[in-house]
Amino acid sequence: MSTAQQGWHEAAPSPFDPAGLTFTPVSRGLAKVRLITAVVWLGLPLVAVVVLAVVFPGWWWWIPIGVLAVLLGWLLWLVPRQVSAIGYAERDEDLLIRKGILFRQLTLVPYGRMQYVDVQAGPLDRWAKVAKVQLHTASAQTDASIPGLPPAEASRLRDRLTERGEARLAGL
Amino acid sequence: MSAEQPAPEEHVEWRRVHKVTPVLQAWKVIVAVFAVLVWQNVETITELWDDRDSVNWTLVLLIGGGVVLLLLLVLTVYSVLSWRMMRYAVGRDAVFLHSGILFRQQRHARLNRIQAVDVVQPLLARLFGLAQLKIETAGGGGSSVVLAFLKEDEAQRLRREVLDRAAGREPAAPTDGEGPGEATAGAPAPAPAVHPDAERELLTVPTGRLVGSLLLSGSMIGLVLLLAGLTVAAVATGSAGPLFGALPGVFGWGAYLWGRFTGGFNFRAAISPDGIRLRYGLLEQRTQTVPPGRIHAVGLKQPLLWRRRGWWRVEVNVAGYSALENQTESTTGTVLLPVGTRGEALTALWLVLPDLGVADPKAVIDGALEGEGEAGGFLTSPRSARWLDPVSWRRNGVQLTDRAVLVRRGRLNRALAIVPHERTQSLALTQGPLERRAGLANVAPATVGGPVSTTAHHLEAMTALAVLGEASRMSREARHRESPAEWMERVGLVPRRPPAAAGPVDAPPAGAPAPGPLDAPPAGPPVVGPSPLDAPPAGPPVAGPPLGAPADLPPPAPHERR
Repeated sequence: MSTAQQGWHEAAPSPFDPAGLTFTPVSRGLAKVRLITAVVWLGLPLVAVVVLAVVFPGWWWWIPIGVLAVLLGWLLWLVPRQVSAIGYAERDEDLLIRKGILFRQLTLVPYGRMQYVDVQAGPLDRWAKVAKVQLHTASAQTDASIPGLPPAEASRLRDRLTERGEARLAGL
Repeated sequence: MSAEQPAPEEHVEWRRVHKVTPVLQAWKVIVAVFAVLVWQNVETITELWDDRDSVNWTLVLLIGGGVVLLLLLVLTVYSVLSWRMMRYAVGRDAVFLHSGILFRQQRHARLNRIQAVDVVQPLLARLFGLAQLKIETAGGGGSSVVLAFLKEDEAQRLRREVLDRAAGREPAAPTDGEGPGEATAGAPAPAPAVHPDAERELLTVPTGRLVGSLLLSGSMIGLVLLLAGLTVAAVATGSAGPLFGALPGVFGWGAYLWGRFTGGFNFRAAISPDGIRLRYGLLEQRTQTVPPGRIHAVGLKQPLLWRRRGWWRVEVNVAGYSALENQTESTTGTVLLPVGTRGEALTALWLVLPDLGVADPKAVIDGALEGEGEAGGFLTSPRSARWLDPVSWRRNGVQLTDRAVLVRRGRLNRALAIVPHERTQSLALTQGPLERRAGLANVAPATVGGPVSTTAHHLEAMTALAVLGEASRMSREARHRESPAEWMERVGLVPRRPPAAAGPVDAPPAGAPAPGPLDAPPAGPPVVGPSPLDAPPAGPPVAGPPLGAPADLPPPAPHERR
């Protein structure tokens, strides 16, 4: 087992891409969900401000319109990238989760350290056919959630994690 | 009246708390009610006082006295009733507490979920020789079972009983065979092999040093500076406005320092069969027992001003203590040593982690505590980190030993965090945009919550990835290296048994010690024999014989591979 790991850093193209590991990307549905959320939270206020600007003309309306439009544009550009940066890889003994573009993060969770697994999906998630799998360890520091899994994959992963967790369980 | 029994076949003995309890509980209520009444009627009272000449004082006193008497009566009846309704029992696998008059509460705490049993003595209870027993379960805030108040020795006995049962032992009978007279710090009878009272005091904090450490702490200096600044401002402006404006802040600051003082007052750490026993407190005295197996990380800290004195503070992350609702508890329950010399700090470290798993512990400890750069075999930040971290980039460091992850930090305020491999919950590699430009990354072994921060900052990015991989491999291999039985043997509470007989439940010493495949970049030659820290038993202030010299500590239990 330990030999499989040798050189995972030497041959790695980047620190967040250990050699010999293939990260599974998450569903594009997650991008849809996040984009819709962004549009609702920023787009609707934008429309409202535009309407107000038409009704009560004035140059100062350009400030909120500009801010909202820039934020929205930035999110529209960012979200698909963010989603494609999320990936996970299952190994024999642990699960690796990779996230983030600007602030990157690679989390390694041994199956034996898992306390329980959550699968969550809101109404929008269900519509877009994605679910979030969250692993809980004894540490609140551990950020081990995989958003945007297809429901079938989410349940497969949950069952697999639970089964592995039991098999590898070591005391706290 | 006779509510549901724990189990039909189980016969438990229901007991009541001490008779004085209602009095001790009630006085707080009386004070609170009085304060609320006064607060609510400030205006009326001031009005009364303003036209004090025209008021019929007899009438006021009569009414006031009547109200107070009525209150007292109601309270007394209530307290007595609630005392009568409150009963507790310790069963085979749970602690039962039934209470409440109108709203009945039956709290059953399963013994196998118990995290800690503390004996707490608030000031007033101490005067009466009473104590309360706090049983913490792993249920987050508000999940503790509080038995208040019991006679002090009864509380101690019950604590032992609960811990015994939680550990799956029948409560130890006093006639438990004979044993070689291990140090028993004042136990009357010759101690059996694991006498529950067997306790050896290892660390104490003299009050003078505690006061000194607080005077030399950053918060005290900050407070003094703040007060000086405020005084200057007050004198300059000629009004006391700034002083009063900052009063809440000053009070908060003072309360923090006061908490540090009471939390470290008369601090004693001892070894007991249940774990490390901590006693401390000025007005309210606490006895806490930290099982070594629940400690997930140890942190040694040295603020800048302590350096000349060579003082260190030792804190731990303990499972089950992080979610406590009470703030003072969460700050004191996790302190293994409020202030101590370097040797004492290493003794405290040794209690938790006997063996760093390195060939030359002295060099590693020197490098970890005072060293910079590569001293002691640490992987440190590259030169590219000096822009991001100009002060302490040479001090940042991480080292993987056979046993633990060592994280070194802080050049002015030195800190060292140690996470045993078997306690690592998960590992994380993080990188922000600036670190990315400098080719750096941070590695953090995640542990249960607590005061010890375990992030190793600003390592060379590829090295960080290598550390992550190695640490994950090592934590995988580390499994149950030390059972509670082994711990008791190591600290000398029970005589060492021959390896064959020392059968811990879950980790049978199978075969020869595995020589730990060492290909981690920083690791030295493989260590097979015992290589404990050098400092630990340096003259502990105890009556009993000192601990065994490091050389005759038992070798580390063989690695168990799964």
